[in-house]
Amino acid sequence: MAKSCEPSLQLLHQHLQDAVDLEFWTIPFYMSAMYSIKDRSLPEYQRIRTVINQEMLHLQCAANMANAYGLSPKFTPPVYEGTTIPHLDFNLDNPDVIKPYTPYSAEIGPLDELRVNGMCLVEIPDYETDITHWKKALLFATRGEYGSIGAFYRALRRLAYHCRNDIKGGVRQVDYFKAFYNNMPNMTITESGDVGFQQVELLIDLITEQGEGECKAEPVIPPTFQNTADDTEPENDHFAKFNEIKNDLAQSSREPCWIYQGKPRGEYCAKNAALELILIEQFAELCKGLEGLFSGENPQQFFPVMASVGAAVRNCWEHGVTPKFS
Amino acid sequence: MPQAGTDVTGGLPIKKGQESEPITSNELRDDDGNLKKQAARFRIYAYDIDGEASYPGEQGIEITRGTKLPDKRVVRDIIWSCHLANKKAAAYNVVNNKGIEAYADGKVPQLRNPEVHGEVDSDYRLNRLMIDAGPRAISAANGSAASFDRCSTATYINPKGEIETLLDYPIRFPEDTNDELFQPSGPLDTLGSMHTDEQGRLLVLASSGNAVGQYDEYGVPIQMTGDLNNVGWFDSAADGPVSALLVFEDGSSEEVFGAWVVCGDPAYAPQIRNVVSVWDDVYDMFVRDLDLQPHLFSKCFGEVAEAYNPDYQPAFAQDIQPIFIAANLQRWTANLPPLALRSHSVVADISEDDDPNRTVMAALNFIRNPNKDETNIGTPLMPLSLGAAGTSFLTVTKTQYFFLEQWSKGNFEKGDAQKLGPGEFLDMASLSNCLGGRYVPGIEVSYTIMDKDIYIQDWKQSGAGPFRIKHYPLTYENLNPETPYLSSGWIPLHNMTDGLQPGDVSKFMAIPWQTDYNSCSIHATAINTDGKNESNGAETTLYWSWPSQRPDAVYVAEEVVNNVLPKQKWSIRGPGTYAVNPASAATFQDPLDSVKHWDKIGIIVQGSNVVNGDEQYSPELYLEVQSQLTAPGDATDPVPDWPFNANPSKKKRGCPRHKG
Repeated sequence: MAKSCEPSLQLLHQHLQDAVDLEFWTIPFYMSAMYSIKDRSLPEYQRIRTVINQEMLHLQCAANMANAYGLSPKFTPPVYEGTTIPHLDFNLDNPDVIKPYTPYSAEIGPLDELRVNGMCLVEIPDYETDITHWKKALLFATRGEYGSIGAFYRALRRLAYHCRNDIKGGVRQVDYFKAFYNNMPNMTITESGDVGFQQVELLIDLITEQGEGECKAEPVIPPTFQNTADDTEPENDHFAKFNEIKNDLAQSSREPCWIYQGKPRGEYCAKNAALELILIEQFAELCKGLEGLFSGENPQQFFPVMASVGAAVRNCWEHGVTPKFS
Repeated sequence: MPQAGTDVTGGLPIKKGQESEPITSNELRDDDGNLKKQAARFRIYAYDIDGEASYPGEQGIEITRGTKLPDKRVVRDIIWSCHLANKKAAAYNVVNNKGIEAYADGKVPQLRNPEVHGEVDSDYRLNRLMIDAGPRAISAANGSAASFDRCSTATYINPKGEIETLLDYPIRFPEDTNDELFQPSGPLDTLGSMHTDEQGRLLVLASSGNAVGQYDEYGVPIQMTGDLNNVGWFDSAADGPVSALLVFEDGSSEEVFGAWVVCGDPAYAPQIRNVVSVWDDVYDMFVRDLDLQPHLFSKCFGEVAEAYNPDYQPAFAQDIQPIFIAANLQRWTANLPPLALRSHSVVADISEDDDPNRTVMAALNFIRNPNKDETNIGTPLMPLSLGAAGTSFLTVTKTQYFFLEQWSKGNFEKGDAQKLGPGEFLDMASLSNCLGGRYVPGIEVSYTIMDKDIYIQDWKQSGAGPFRIKHYPLTYENLNPETPYLSSGWIPLHNMTDGLQPGDVSKFMAIPWQTDYNSCSIHATAINTDGKNESNGAETTLYWSWPSQRPDAVYVAEEVVNNVLPKQKWSIRGPGTYAVNPASAATFQDPLDSVKHWDKIGIIVQGSNVVNGDEQYSPELYLEVQSQLTAPGDATDPVPDWPFNANPSKKKRGCPRHKG
């Protein structure tokens, strides 16, 4: 096992960047699976939609925390290869817990068993990790050394607490989701010091209760963190929603044609290649926009670019092109 | 849409006596603060059709006094006639969640005012419940005018082409059968008036908008119990046929194909186009049901049924761009979130030179598909306003969607060459200014406007042209002052194709219109779906009903400084509007106030036409002017960010007998 580290602001910054990377990684992965579903009214589509929205919220939370501690996060196109899911090493987990979700894939693709297994594994509750109090959580220098995302976020909480005097409230905070969560007191870090840390904790709770992280007796999101606007299952966390999809896929009698399939790249025509390129370009633009957004630049075209990426993903699938982001 | 050569968006009323100059904000009210009326101007176009008509047709020529036709005849006079009636109180209830289906299978909804005994066509009911001003006819050459009021005499164009008085016409107004009426804004004793301009065109002015109510047996005005079907109330909306007889200098005359006038609600946001207008709905129906453009939609393109032509190229400027611009205009009357504002702005900026695949509209990823079961999917699909009866959300029409599909495939025409002739353009422009899509029951007209049974269906052979409502033949013979002349008239889905009588369009609207206008601000989707949330969102999430015609959240012009926008305010605000439940925000809490104060609501006008001292407003802004509900700076109910929620409903009480 890797050697644990002492808490420091530098280590916290590294963890906050990791948190941003992790949340950002999920969005194209989930988005590609969702847009591969032809019928937008299907529950599978709608469930993934609500999770993607919350991953965007988590990204905002992670970036807001980072800015409160003096770090404007970087955004680079994630890598989707083989079975590598950032920050997760399933070798550290109980094989019996992981087994139902294998084999899996971390590559961009249509919604299928491999993909939904990967989605479940990202969101799997923290069954195995040392559940000592977060103030005693082990700290590691690299994110891959954490056994689970739950352990990672516990470490982040410990680091955030340790560095609470470095918090500066009201610095480059972004708040686009508050109207979707009427029971959530605040989604930004407006205060410094101890009060600011309470706000940081609230955002970590939001992330881990909705999705990645903590082991919970019931997969029910507390009312504070439930979506109040556009989710018909606001009480269900990500893992519960993805398991529903997994079960639906296993029992589904639908024809295979309900999902768009990508053709081999060798069969791409010029238009297919152009659509692939458009997505890559727009995603690069989105990365740039996100970086600007969380560094105080307020890029005016951020929302349209974000929406255009979704449109480009759908457009790729409709033409038999597997989405590619870099 | 932007008007060629100016930065003014179309839709504003035109100044009195002017050809096309739009009004400014200081011309909306008279010196006493009364809201001025907007006339409906009728013009006549002549087409030289050899064989069957087509659409678009030829350019045509406008007929005015003095026009010389190709056959050398010169127009000496135009005799206009119109007949206005309001049958709302005598008609059937509007059924919120059924719409036109309430008339299916030979059935009809419950009658309004059921305590007034009799069948729907009984003289007893019609005498008491129908408002019929009777016909009026005027000569353009004489410059005469006529009022559709209770005390004037009906006139019509007789078979000889002369204006004839109808002394025995049974004019009916509520005062005839009610000794006393509650008249919060004044008496209901007219349905409007008609005039001609210098060219001989017809101008029809609506009434002053008064609504009146009966008193109950305790001498109290009858309680308004809802938004759609209030018992004991009458309003002064109206509709009816418009006819014209051309009189030539050689003594001959010729009747033109008639039109129809609807005197409905004021246009509170005349430049804010709905994504789906009445034009879009009527055009869609004519394309798919009445063979409007066989090269666009016909049996030629479907293996079994009719289908759209996959090679058809819509025009970007006329068929695509209006949808994009309309989406962006909604921000001026609804409290859209920042994400929508920025994205809509980008949509409106899409030009014909943009590659659709590089735009936010690629793959129509955010457009609800009317060909699929997507009417219950809210975010992120558009339009996000409430839909037709039985559906949660609005969709574009199938023809609009087909045009968008063609555009997204790059299969469209560029350029701004107008395909329509001037007369056809006026048809399109006037109907585009009316609210479509969500006919629950609608603003100007209801779902019946999409029923082909109301139109002249042999438009190609008859020479009538498309989009023309068929007149039920009214000969005005055998009149008896005691017997109503009009019947209950046309209803949908009952194989009635012999035409519409006066009042047969507006009777499907709410009574009085003010209560529905007031109520239809914001709702949860369940209002359309029998009280059950069918959407993909929370059951308490609120959406807009008719923001393009019934402004919800607005920017007050007097509060804009240096073109910096202030916080939005509700359009209906101030005393009597404070809401405990956000679901009833932006409304008069007492529906009675809606019939008292509807004329105090402000109007949304483009910045270029707002007059306010030395302040110069950008044409990019559309601002509320001339509201008499509050003064600038007054405290009002705040407008929350969207999404916002209604208070949860109280749990239904269980039956004690069933408790364990």
